[in-house]
Amino acid sequence: MHTQTDTPLPTKLPNIKASSKNRRIQDTLIKGLLLAIALLSASFIILIAVFVTTRGIIPFITDNNQLGRVDVVGFLTGRVWLGGATFISTAYGAGYLIVNTLYVVFLSLLVSFPVGVLTALFIAKIAPAALSHAMRTIVELLASIPSIVYGLVAAGVFLPWIHSLARAMGTQSSGGNSTFAVVIVLAMMSLPTITAVSEVAIRSVDKNLEHASLALGASPTQTHFKVVLAAAKSGIFAGAILAVGRALGEATAVSLVAGSSRSGPNLGLFDITATITSTMLEGMKETSGIDYDIRFSLGVLLMAVILITNFLLNFIKRKVGKIHV
Amino acid sequence: MYKKRNMLDGLAKGFTYLGALTATFFLGIILYFIMANGLGRFNLALLTSDYHAQYFNGRPLRFEACETCERPDDLSDDILYAPQYGLGLSDTRDRGGNTVIQVTYMHPDSPLHNLVNTNNLNQPVTIAIDTVITRISYTDHPTSLTRRGAASMISDLESGATIYEVSFSTVGGGIRGSLITTLILIGLTLAMVMPLGIATAIYLCELAPINRVTSTLRSLIETLTGVPSIIYGLLGISVFVPLTIRLNLTRGPSLIAGAMTLTVILLPVVIRTTEEALKTIPKDYRLASLALGANTTQTVGKVVLPNAIPGIMTAVFLAIGRIIGESAALIFVLGTAVKDQVRIQENSTSLAVHIWSMMTDEPANIELSSTIALLILIVVLILNIGVKLTVHQLKRKTG
Repeated sequence: MHTQTDTPLPTKLPNIKASSKNRRIQDTLIKGLLLAIALLSASFIILIAVFVTTRGIIPFITDNNQLGRVDVVGFLTGRVWLGGATFISTAYGAGYLIVNTLYVVFLSLLVSFPVGVLTALFIAKIAPAALSHAMRTIVELLASIPSIVYGLVAAGVFLPWIHSLARAMGTQSSGGNSTFAVVIVLAMMSLPTITAVSEVAIRSVDKNLEHASLALGASPTQTHFKVVLAAAKSGIFAGAILAVGRALGEATAVSLVAGSSRSGPNLGLFDITATITSTMLEGMKETSGIDYDIRFSLGVLLMAVILITNFLLNFIKRKVGKIHV
Repeated sequence: MYKKRNMLDGLAKGFTYLGALTATFFLGIILYFIMANGLGRFNLALLTSDYHAQYFNGRPLRFEACETCERPDDLSDDILYAPQYGLGLSDTRDRGGNTVIQVTYMHPDSPLHNLVNTNNLNQPVTIAIDTVITRISYTDHPTSLTRRGAASMISDLESGATIYEVSFSTVGGGIRGSLITTLILIGLTLAMVMPLGIATAIYLCELAPINRVTSTLRSLIETLTGVPSIIYGLLGISVFVPLTIRLNLTRGPSLIAGAMTLTVILLPVVIRTTEEALKTIPKDYRLASLALGANTTQTVGKVVLPNAIPGIMTAVFLAIGRIIGESAALIFVLGTAVKDQVRIQENSTSLAVHIWSMMTDEPANIELSSTIALLILIVVLILNIGVKLTVHQLKRKTG
């Protein structure tokens, strides 16, 4: 150190030190910036929870410009949307909407689940290579079609069919707008989700299980149905849960074929119906007042229904997943 | 014994074929319906013309018949022609499916080129090819109306009566406004979501420590994927619309608020796709860069990101597809009124919302809706191919 004055260091060396320090600062700055952006990205879900919930609660805790408070119990169990003699009312009953929503999603799953799983098995195990590839492309295409197009096709194709079917069976239908139409459109939309997830689950089944089954004398088809499907059931169930979550939240396609029923529950296949989401899209012309704010309450209700259904289905999945066939 | 088993096996196999057939039937019916109803009207004029027709009432400047306007020899037999006015008319259907009388030929010397607006005689108006004629009234003859058809209108014109007033309109039913809105939404949304998404993905994948905070961040972002799009619409009207009004950018639902809402919808998609691309880059690349003396910023900026470009392109394609298809959220944040003059501070409709808006009208316009749906399907198909190509490229690049 004492000789530093005699032999000065090359002028470049301090620069390197400085630049390495600069680069450390640069790293810290960039890291801080990226962390801030990541925090922003993660904050949106909290924004949704806070803002939608607060506005959804307003109709229940304020007197809504002298119209009166909306009764929470009445809202959750009511069988008539806006009952009472006049339009100046806060008698919003969404109980039948909850029943309708769960009902149409359940019925649609009765169609899409078997069709989806069978298609997945077909693609993964049974079809010849070329056919399997073609089928996978078809499922991918179905998955990429936007929901509004499903709604349009359902309104253009299925409504007239359902209308004439109802007439042939001696009942009435409001131009085909019915539970049946909603079930078909939801089944079509859930199909690619169930198929894609089930296919992955079926493919990831341990080959040794299959070989063991075959060695015990089971035919390939018996193996596919009794061993592969049973082993993949957890994954298949996960696909169904995903599909149910999406079907519960589907809005525009459903609103085009539901028929906006104002009271319920609507359990008849050819009767008009209404779901939580289709009611949220009703009368988008008004932009203020309780008739507008009540959409937020329906939004909170929708989130609650989705969360509870998801939780229950996952609970069942864990129970079922433990049982070995 | 085996006979029975083979039969049951055949039956079980048959069921899987039936399942696959049902899925194919679903796709077939969608494609068939959209093509059958939309293909006939699908042309460039549709993409470039206005949705709302403009109506005019015009009066001829001079009242004498045209003497040089003889029927051209090459004029198609379908066109009914009135030589006195040099006007060729046809019965056609407009984009809404209504029967209308449309101008299909105009002689260059036709006196109907020079009309004046009945309400403002100083303002010239002109009838051009494709104009829809709704009414011609005469000073000395009963008025000709659309519902009597082109043949009746031609014979009225040929009777030598003097035209008092012609009511006509542009065709309308075009989707230029919605198309431009969709393109602007794509541009604005990508400009916001790509930087946010890529930065978040880089943080989570390259820099974040493995601890509780990081996993909480991850699960918060992951939760966004399960939120239905209609709830994003509520987020838009309760947060982004008031925010843009507060910032004096807008006065209500707008394209800006729409793009902000779409940004939140797409964030999880962009983050996940980018993260997956980052994960495929071998660790050796990073170590080599760091060993050569580069700092983390340089390594990420100059080594990791360039190698992740195919994955980022996948994210862009997926994002565009989702923006084009999104309807429920945009109905809230963008409004449902179809506009011809698009401004980013005002409301408008994207192509998907345009379909919804027409389908909830009475009567529903299925034909124009199918035409828009066809356009959407074509774009989605191209994007799908784009995704496949970039994924292929990514696989080839990283082995």
